[in-house]
Amino acid sequence: MAARATETPPPEVHDLDPGTFLEEVHSFEFWFQAVEGYLSGLTFGHKPGTSEDAMSPTDRDRLISVLCNYCVGETAALEASSGLIAIAPTRLAKVFLSTQVVDEGRHLEVLLHRMRDLGVADPEAEVEKRASPGIVTFKRRLLELVAGNDWESAIFAQNVILESLEFVVFRRHAENADRVTREVLEGIVKDERRHIGFGENELGRRLATAPAKRARIREFRQELDHLVLETLSDTVKHLGLDRSDEQDVGRMYMEAVARLGLAG
Amino acid sequence: MTDPLQQEAPAIADKDSRRRFVLEDDTGFNEVPKKYRRFYRKWGGPGDPLAANEVVCPVCKVVIRSTRELRPGDRVYCMPCMSRLIVMAGEGGRLEARVAY
Repeated sequence: MAARATETPPPEVHDLDPGTFLEEVHSFEFWFQAVEGYLSGLTFGHKPGTSEDAMSPTDRDRLISVLCNYCVGETAALEASSGLIAIAPTRLAKVFLSTQVVDEGRHLEVLLHRMRDLGVADPEAEVEKRASPGIVTFKRRLLELVAGNDWESAIFAQNVILESLEFVVFRRHAENADRVTREVLEGIVKDERRHIGFGENELGRRLATAPAKRARIREFRQELDHLVLETLSDTVKHLGLDRSDEQDVGRMYMEAVARLGLAG
Repeated sequence: MTDPLQQEAPAIADKDSRRRFVLEDDTGFNEVPKKYRRFYRKWGGPGDPLAANEVVCPVCKVVIRSTRELRPGDRVYCMPCMSRLIVMAGEGGRLEARVAY
């Protein structure tokens, strides 16, 4: 009998059979009830009543530059995840990616809106002007992988490299950010948790049945991950965070790489 | 138990004599549907002690909670990041989880 999403939870969630678990967590229904928990009542990613902290012109300008790079990352993920739906190998992956597309579209919208709040008249033009070359190159290569129907490499680039590094940087940034930016980033980080988990688990399952694909993904890893690492390390410096934060940026990503057997 | 999020139910033991735990509904974790929230909580980092029914997800660093004491070989699910995990004995006997793709 095919697994079905559950309507009521079992007394012990860990007793679900694996098929039912996967069906449940990849469903649109699961996504909808999950995001309802932390996005309900927010306007453009923050509580309507949250007031702006005082910010110097220099700090404001730095924040705008950082948000411009975030916008390139989110645009890359929006365009790539929507393109990946067509080549996703299973229905569950297609449905999950449809929820990721919605998440990424929301991220881009709230970040552009935050730039408007900070006084940027034309945020998209500002992104064009300020984005770091590394993240722009990464976006172009990611979209080439999608266009080339390379499912494993594209999922690795998007959901492992980009998402895991964003997860750490956004979380660090949120701890030190002004109140409105903090709320916006905290909501994004909660979405990213699903994206990194989907990427690692999907890739782990694929590599378990086709280990020869590891060599190809290792090549892409060497080509692409430094582009994101450099951009996000620059971001950490830009935000005035200390060296230990900078070292932490890559740690979670490297742990995922090791678990997938892609280190070295 | 010092953890305010849970109470041990001392009189209840399942067939393999594991301690059972009553999980409070509100752990403050809101990233999964309501019906699953009691099975997860935020992790406070290395200084955050884990109870006998808890293990940290290595993928997304959320604390996974069970209604029963965990032991090596148990399967647990991290719904926030959609991972299936196997509980292992780590350094010093501390329980850890390994991803089972």
